[in-house]
Amino acid sequence: MKSFLTPLKALRQLARDPVTLPIEPRPAAPNYRGFHVNDWDACIGCGTCESICDNKAIHMVDIKGLPENPVQGIKALRPAIDYGRCCWCSLCVDICPSGSLALSREYVHIDQDLDSFFILPDEKGIHGLDYPKGWSKSDDADLLDLKRQAMPEMTADVRIDSFAEIVEGFTKQTAVFEASRCIQCGMCHDACPAHMDVPEYIRAIWEGDAEEAVRQIYKTNPLAHVCGRVCTHRCETACSISVRGEAVSIRWLKRYAMDSVSHEVVKKIATEGKAEQSSGKRVAIIGSGPAGLTAAYDLARAGHAVTLFEAFAKPGGMMRWGIPEYRLPYERLDEDVAVIEAMGVDIRCNSAVGDKIQMAELERDYDAVMLGIGLHGGRSTRIPGSEHADVYSAVDLLHRITGKQDFELPKSAVVIGGGNVAFDIARSLARLQKQAFNQVDVTITALEPEDKMLADPAEVREAEEEGVILYNSRGPRVCTIEQDQLTGLETVHCVSIFDEQGRFHPQYDEENIIVHDAEMVVEAIGQVAQTDFLGEDLIERLEWDQRGRPVINNNGQTSEPWLWAAGDMVKGPDVIHAIAGGHQVAASIHACLQASINGLKGVSS
Amino acid sequence: MSDINPEGSGYEQLKARQTLAEVLETVLSFEQTAYAFYSALTEKVSKRLRPLVKELAEEEQQHCLLFEDLKNNPAVRAVIAQRIKTPENDHKFSDYIHMPELDENPDDQSILQYAIGREHAAMEQYDGLAQESPNAVLKDTFTWLAQEELAHKKELEKRYYQLVYLSHE
Repeated sequence: MKSFLTPLKALRQLARDPVTLPIEPRPAAPNYRGFHVNDWDACIGCGTCESICDNKAIHMVDIKGLPENPVQGIKALRPAIDYGRCCWCSLCVDICPSGSLALSREYVHIDQDLDSFFILPDEKGIHGLDYPKGWSKSDDADLLDLKRQAMPEMTADVRIDSFAEIVEGFTKQTAVFEASRCIQCGMCHDACPAHMDVPEYIRAIWEGDAEEAVRQIYKTNPLAHVCGRVCTHRCETACSISVRGEAVSIRWLKRYAMDSVSHEVVKKIATEGKAEQSSGKRVAIIGSGPAGLTAAYDLARAGHAVTLFEAFAKPGGMMRWGIPEYRLPYERLDEDVAVIEAMGVDIRCNSAVGDKIQMAELERDYDAVMLGIGLHGGRSTRIPGSEHADVYSAVDLLHRITGKQDFELPKSAVVIGGGNVAFDIARSLARLQKQAFNQVDVTITALEPEDKMLADPAEVREAEEEGVILYNSRGPRVCTIEQDQLTGLETVHCVSIFDEQGRFHPQYDEENIIVHDAEMVVEAIGQVAQTDFLGEDLIERLEWDQRGRPVINNNGQTSEPWLWAAGDMVKGPDVIHAIAGGHQVAASIHACLQASINGLKGVSS
Repeated sequence: MSDINPEGSGYEQLKARQTLAEVLETVLSFEQTAYAFYSALTEKVSKRLRPLVKELAEEEQQHCLLFEDLKNNPAVRAVIAQRIKTPENDHKFSDYIHMPELDENPDDQSILQYAIGREHAAMEQYDGLAQESPNAVLKDTFTWLAQEELAHKKELEKRYYQLVYLSHE
């Protein structure tokens, strides 16, 4: 009976008012994985989200007008999401190094146009409705390890009387841990002047294959031991991890790879791919600094006969004569040089061009000539008293220390300068003082304020740990002399170092004076190339710029078609830039030589 | 840059000028002398240094043109009055203490030091003339000229610092 009446009861519903549910979606849970939002100001365009997406739902799109700076690790790319593919797994959010990407609590999109499911999210989300964030970066879900592995190094009290290398290096375990922090975004590759294949060698280290890491390193850098120790590591500045944490220790990983593989194996790896036949062409390179050695390596590899003329007793340029051993042990530099020699480069030391051999002979006897002479002349402030015999140039003094040449070690010294060279000479003098007098009395006076120092922050910290006193914002005024004896340096307060346009133009408060007592003053300011050896004839033929440097084209070729120049003398400012310059010149010379072999006109000339 | 020197006749020459036109005429001749000096130096120095010296000569030539234009401008007094309303500040230049002698074989640093020294000396002299001049128009003119020299000196100082302290641009 009951079932008989049920349909009739249902008819009652026809008389009731319809029930209307709200069309707004129900509020999502706080951690809901809805549509993406992306803070464009925070996003660096690294593309890690694209790489991690297994569904290929993310594509990086080039956005015109956005800031782009490879050196700072910023690309004008932003992720676009294909919601036909996205599975809302949120790995893109969890891996995002900048933390710019998140999922919102918005989850409804209805449209018949399929293109509308492919969006370029900004911080307002798919419909510009400013929904609150759902799944976003949290400590629990962060896939990145923001803290680098500690690098063991000698403490200040142990190292202060020694030139032994301070940094001890990674163990295999710490190297693998450190390598595992890398997200393979490649920002480092773009930032490196030599465009080293950093992600590739870090991956090889992570896989425990140090030989493969060395192979990857040698693709772009024949001074691998050197760069594993003293590179200015622009790669680390651009490292995506550094946006929220500590950059991957790329330099130390390179050092680890090189130290893990025997010298003989490195030689074998480095010579892989060398041209089997000689081209019959001869190239002369003047100066065995990083630019000259790199160009020599590349050209020898391509089959050309390379002779490298070095004025000093040993090769290496500023890497040997300007960088103290506690930062770069000379046996490591020797290993890098030996690899280059193994490639077939003939390095002739104690062979200053302009002395035993003239430029005219090189022009006549070689198919191409490259200048890579660096900046071995120290600039002087030329303040009153700076001509005193106890006022030294930092580059001269570093050269003497490396060459173990005699000079009267002062019990107290004051250094003028705020760059790495100033710290190199200050710390070298401090070590010698500790050895000789069991005390350190070295002062650095830098024009720059503490937060704008030119020197590497690690240099500044380590120098202070070693007892070097640093005075910031001080400009040199006069070297004080009493009865022909140098007694110190008078400095004035530097109130600012840049003008309104950002040009270097220190300004002083002459009332604020400090006298730094010292037996020696060392000038560690700018440096200059010593080009007299070129001879007046060639100097007249070459074109020069306002800074007294030879004018070069984009390939490093001077106004003389047979002559190229690279390294500090034309560009600077560091080893890795010189290496990049060496590669560039080698490529240009090789192209010209190949063209002449093929009977064509040289591309550059 | 003017060719007046601290003890020399240029100072007296300018002091003796009574009218604005006379002053500008004399200053123009100083600038022409400076231009001739750097032009002659261009021929003497090594080719490495020629771009630098040439640039200095060109700047003096620009000064010549400026004074020439001004000399022929009927509104010269108004222009000068306007220009001295925004004075340049002289910030001490620690490296430069006295004007160096320019020897037979100068380097780039000496040439710039010398150029700065000349600008500095000229600035001080115009400043002195401005203080001494009883004529308001001439006082304004000398004040303006001192500012012109100071502005040029500052520009040279920046170039000097970039050359000497910054090995790379």
